[in-house]
Amino acid sequence: MTIVTGQTEARRPLQPDRSGALRNIWEHRADYAYVLPAIVVMLIVIAYPIYYTIELSFFSTPPGLQLRDKIFVGLDNYKAILTSEVFWKVTWNTLVWTLGSTFVSFVLGFATALALHRDFIGRGVLRAVLIIPWVISAVAASYIWKWIYHSDFGIIGAVLVELGLVDRPPNFIDSVGTVLPSLIVVNIWREFPFAMIMMMAGLQTVPDQLLRAAKVDGANAWQRFWHVTFPHLRNVSTVTILLLAVANFNSFIIPWIMTGGGPSNASHIWITHIYELAFGRQRWGVASAYSVLLFLILMTLGYFYVRALSGNERKEGNA
Amino acid sequence: MSTIAETVPRGQTSRRMRIDGWRWGGRVFLVFMLLYTALPMIWMLLTSIKSGFAAMQFPPQWWPDQPTLASYQKLLDPQNSVGQDFLRFFWNSLFVSTATTILSVIVAVPAAYAFSRFTFPGRNFLFFAVLLRNMFPAVIFLVPLFILMRAIGLVNTHGSLVLTYLTFGLPLAIWLLKGFYDNIPIQLEQAARIDGATRFQAFVLIVMPLSAPGIIATAIYSFIGAWNEYIYAYTFLSKNEQLTLPVGIQRFFSENTTDFPGLMAASFIMSVPVVVLFLVLQRYFVRALTEGAVKH
Repeated sequence: MTIVTGQTEARRPLQPDRSGALRNIWEHRADYAYVLPAIVVMLIVIAYPIYYTIELSFFSTPPGLQLRDKIFVGLDNYKAILTSEVFWKVTWNTLVWTLGSTFVSFVLGFATALALHRDFIGRGVLRAVLIIPWVISAVAASYIWKWIYHSDFGIIGAVLVELGLVDRPPNFIDSVGTVLPSLIVVNIWREFPFAMIMMMAGLQTVPDQLLRAAKVDGANAWQRFWHVTFPHLRNVSTVTILLLAVANFNSFIIPWIMTGGGPSNASHIWITHIYELAFGRQRWGVASAYSVLLFLILMTLGYFYVRALSGNERKEGNA
Repeated sequence: MSTIAETVPRGQTSRRMRIDGWRWGGRVFLVFMLLYTALPMIWMLLTSIKSGFAAMQFPPQWWPDQPTLASYQKLLDPQNSVGQDFLRFFWNSLFVSTATTILSVIVAVPAAYAFSRFTFPGRNFLFFAVLLRNMFPAVIFLVPLFILMRAIGLVNTHGSLVLTYLTFGLPLAIWLLKGFYDNIPIQLEQAARIDGATRFQAFVLIVMPLSAPGIIATAIYSFIGAWNEYIYAYTFLSKNEQLTLPVGIQRFFSENTTDFPGLMAASFIMSVPVVVLFLVLQRYFVRALTEGAVKH
């Protein structure tokens, strides 16, 4: 980031000029050519959808009508959402899902990265096996676990019965109380490897000299971890946790394939709920209003995401 | 990955007992994680080689009594209708993923290079705008994109998927690659420029080869993302012969709800390409994450 070409260095004195900004843009016109393809694609596929969603959130779209015959209703969609019972239920589910998945995935991934940090025979193979769930499709993962949780022939139920813990196999994903935790287990299965890779990468940046110095000074393993390793990983941890949180908040496939939000909304999270409103019940206006609310929440998270990332940039700038 | 010579003599210190405690704790934990990761996949494989009847038993056959490859034969046989569909889904997925991968490398490489090297006005803003794309769920984009695709005549084509996949693969691709370019000394390019190369030549001849690992990592990421994508394919495509694997499998098994061996075999076949690709090229990927995301 800090690399500044010789040319720009020479141009610096020009900037205080009144026309400086425009001239600056003009003089860098060739640079934009490199970014242009990316920006154009992004504009088409991001800016337009966001604008359209905001517009649609102020309209009502009765099922019989074409989308273009929408009726302006002002803030009614928002009112309807915030006063509905389903909204609070789904929001609670989303919180449990996002925080639970993120926290456990991160802790398991971090612990695995630490345990894998020292060399031993078979380390590479073990690491590869542990990453596989992250690589395979969430659809495949959902079906595998749906079969594992099956209420008649599922292997977990069978093991519990064989061990004499229960009389008959429990209904993991068909009962209101257990469905969300069961889905979170699947999500963690797929996500802890990501935290593991990130933290393994982070661990390599911890200077060995510091750890050795701490050891000479008589720090034990825990103290070395807490006072040397962990502070070094603060930035990686923040980025990893934020990326996990955003991904979990935006999950769709696992609840959609495994339960479709049921039973009685017990596993509906925001995204599956929005999808059902829009594509299942054709209530585009309400779904768009939901999306706008979602958008606001994500922008808040995004603020911290950008701040964590630009924290990195700044530090690098000083180095 | 393995510069941990420091840990080797640990066992010989006076605090041997306590350190061994940590080490044993770590081993037990790793065994637990291995079981958590591997057992579902093993159960998938074991189920896929059972007959439909053998799979639906209680208590289950822990090990298949009469292992059979019937499910795989059915899925991969171009003669019967199931096999025909499945092979077509497979081909569709392969086509969409490959096209996405090639295009996203073509778009991401120059963008990442510019973000790394040039200091044009608005650079930081654009960079974060690109990154922010990662934050938004597919659902927000579904309706407007569907309308957009209809306007430009791409509904029910694979082009609609490629264009869409491009955008969610790009942010991370650009981010990873930028990390790579940041670590390539600018002096190399300057030397080439002094020798008479244009900026573009310096980029193609000097920087591109050095960033090959990053490009490979980017390509893997795009491919896996496109291969596994579900929600856009589920919404944009309605003709049976165009479906990609995740959607095709879901359609098929929502009609045949009890064919669990077939479902497990299909899940296995669907996972093979990405897992093999990832395992062969994973060191590039891990390195790209280290350099791109972490080493700041």
